[in-house]
Amino acid sequence: MKKSKNPLIRILGNKKWQFITIPVFAFLCSIIAITLIILLIGKNPGVAFHSLLQGSGILPKPKYAAHKGIITDFLEMLDMLTPMIFAALAVAVAFRAGLFNIGVSGQMLAAGFLTTITIGYSSLNAGLAKPLCLIMGAAVGALAGCLIGFLKYKFNINEVVSSIMLNYIFQYIISYFINTRYVDPVSRQSRDVSATARLTLQNVSAGDYKMKLPICIIIAVFAAVFVWFFFKKTRQGYEFHAVGRNVTASKYAGIKVGKTIVLAMTFSGALAGLSGVTYYMGYFSSIQPNTLASTGFDSIAVSLLGNSHPIGILASSFLITVLSKGSTYMSSTAGVRYEVASLIIGMILLFSACGAYIRNTVDRYTKEKGAENGNNNN
Amino acid sequence: MSESYIIEMRNITKRFPGIVANSDVTIRIKKGEIFAILGENGAGKSTLMSMLFGMIEPDSGEIFVRGNKVAITSPNEAVKLDIGMVHQHFKLIENYTVTENIILGIEPIKRLLGVFPVVDTKTTSKKILELSKKYGLEVDPSSKIENLKVYARQRVEILKMLYREAEILIFDEPTAVLTPQEIEYLLDIIRKLQEGGKTIILITHKLEEIKKVADRCAILNRGKLISVLDVASTSTNQMANLMVGRELSLEINKPEAHFGKTVLEVNNLTIRNSERFKVVNDVSFKVREGEIFAIAGVSGNGQVEVADAIAGLSEHVKGEIKFLGENISGIKVRKRNEKGISYIPEDRQQVGLILDFSLAENLVLKKYFKQPFCNGALIDRREFSSYAKRLIEEYDIRVAGGENALTRSMSGGNQQKAIIAREIDIDGSLMIFVQPTRGLDVGAIMSIREKIIEERNKGKAILLISLELDEVLSCADTIGVMYNGEMQKIAPAHEMTEGEVGEYMMGVKKNEKK
Repeated sequence: MKKSKNPLIRILGNKKWQFITIPVFAFLCSIIAITLIILLIGKNPGVAFHSLLQGSGILPKPKYAAHKGIITDFLEMLDMLTPMIFAALAVAVAFRAGLFNIGVSGQMLAAGFLTTITIGYSSLNAGLAKPLCLIMGAAVGALAGCLIGFLKYKFNINEVVSSIMLNYIFQYIISYFINTRYVDPVSRQSRDVSATARLTLQNVSAGDYKMKLPICIIIAVFAAVFVWFFFKKTRQGYEFHAVGRNVTASKYAGIKVGKTIVLAMTFSGALAGLSGVTYYMGYFSSIQPNTLASTGFDSIAVSLLGNSHPIGILASSFLITVLSKGSTYMSSTAGVRYEVASLIIGMILLFSACGAYIRNTVDRYTKEKGAENGNNNN
Repeated sequence: MSESYIIEMRNITKRFPGIVANSDVTIRIKKGEIFAILGENGAGKSTLMSMLFGMIEPDSGEIFVRGNKVAITSPNEAVKLDIGMVHQHFKLIENYTVTENIILGIEPIKRLLGVFPVVDTKTTSKKILELSKKYGLEVDPSSKIENLKVYARQRVEILKMLYREAEILIFDEPTAVLTPQEIEYLLDIIRKLQEGGKTIILITHKLEEIKKVADRCAILNRGKLISVLDVASTSTNQMANLMVGRELSLEINKPEAHFGKTVLEVNNLTIRNSERFKVVNDVSFKVREGEIFAIAGVSGNGQVEVADAIAGLSEHVKGEIKFLGENISGIKVRKRNEKGISYIPEDRQQVGLILDFSLAENLVLKKYFKQPFCNGALIDRREFSSYAKRLIEEYDIRVAGGENALTRSMSGGNQQKAIIAREIDIDGSLMIFVQPTRGLDVGAIMSIREKIIEERNKGKAILLISLELDEVLSCADTIGVMYNGEMQKIAPAHEMTEGEVGEYMMGVKKNEKK
């Protein structure tokens, strides 16, 4: 490869590291753009960023309420992060097999609801209820995903269409049941799940602090590692990848494409289900009728930001969650409106979506020499 | 002198990465004539016409329309110059009516109550009816495209051009999708269009059609213009010879054949495509150990479908396919692979390889699920690598970056070598090669042909499907010629001359059915 004079091109042109250098470059671009925007609305970008990080427990705030501290803020951020990781992994798994699971929200809701009314309202003890919640959530999500995959395999129904439809179906059916059977008359949401089933431990005392302990974050990280392992080391993962990249060649190689599609959606759905239970029975303890979790949609962007790579997703989920978690504090202290956080997230996603464009541009600069190499190989 | 020609394309050259699609081609087309462009697949016919229609731009050369030099940068420009093209793959909106499709983009607006603009389909429908009557293009303007048969859709495409008042109509392989009767109708229509003062350019590789309607005919071979002929004074045989062309024959050392037992036996194979059109009709043949059975034929005469059917990739297959005495018609692709059928497909980039995979991942594409590459649910990438290294070494696959290089980054010849390495290493008893040397340079062509013969010498049965006559002639022990989905002739290679094969390929000489 030609050594370009421009050091930036040289760094970005290195194929081996592009999977990390390109997103980081896109991220830096977005930070610059955001800084300009905050300057334009007449605020101090430094203060805004600082308070964002304070709000999500990365940097210390000047003062805390009783029993609160940077550690409780950080744990709350992790609590929010857990469902995001699962949801983004769900998107990545489907994407690996060339499928677009836009129905993560619906699968989350279905899993959250069914697990809430069965295990969440039961009187099982904690040691039994919590694992059952996870299993049940994964199973319900898997079934929903499997249905979408099956519809595609059997009737060639595009998974985007069927999963959006299922989103609506789940949303309205479940809100009917919540409103007629499980509603809490005060909050107008479903009744809270029992503390034994709740996947985030509440009010855990340590020293002077009272904190939430999102124990499932460990499972989420483990899930990311597992997905990575699955992609890299398993036969099924190889088949997902093959089908995702070239259906015709996969058929030619004797891979059962239909089966692979159903399996991929099932796996994706299971992860979405885990996201659902950690969201509705961990981060929250109830379900608001008639609403889909925005996590399910944000996860698509988060997954793309993480290059659909499980470890990349850990990083991008963390980044996006820090930003959205810190936004409340930012609006109250820096006087930058709450919505600016969404703007920042949007900006990051916009730039990271340009990743392919950046890569192409960089490749064009380094191309001539590359083509010569190619010819020598003939 | 340009006055007498409605279109002149002078010294047109167009290169694509790795190939020269058109090299210094000059054609002149008179107003009101039917001008055919004849050539094998990949000869550069469609490329040449795509440039006239503005879909691609020439690297060098000039185009004159009605004596004026023009730069046609888009199909819209071409339409402004009254040039219309009927594509091989129709560009119609399925759930729109015929009228809606025809007026798309130039919708006539009338004002309801003098104010509200609406699309005036009524008067246009009338106009379309008139047009279709005039040229014999009967089609109901109010029916939806999805309810129309292929030939009717083609008529809609023609009407679309006529509605835009195109004077010069380009037909890209218009008969490829039609049945014989429909072809007759179409040729009638083309004649009527000519009587109506239109200039017709017909891209085809079917000689009989040219003989029937065309006035003059340009013959392209490998991107070069071979000659422009008066159709009336030229025989089909002459055209066939020019089209196939003579290139310096590549001598290959081929020892005498020793045939063993029958490996592949195909009986009464009939295949329909997704439109239920019969693409292969009652084909039977046998391939023995140590035999190269080559199927010759012009592209699109059912050869590739035969190969797909044997590999297990086709639906709608009737007839019997026997492999080593066992009927394998019903079994899955992977089982067939496992039984020892190797398949080098025609489209190496879309079918034979996953371009976004590394070379190693592609080399194990048919083995990854077996020991030692796979233990239970886990795959062993170190085994992938060491296996790939061996094949790279053994088959001289040249790739920068070794087995972990992205397959997309490899040259076409080395991609093909990778497929051939993988398929030979399956070490089965039957190998199917489809167009194994297409688009490759002479060195790669020679080494692949030598490999094919080497495998045959080892006693494998080889089914070679090629559009290139010299490949068939230099490799085959037995030649079968397909035309129109039917096997015209099967004979030992030494009993057939090049001319004879060519004649069968073009359907000039008919089969004496046994």
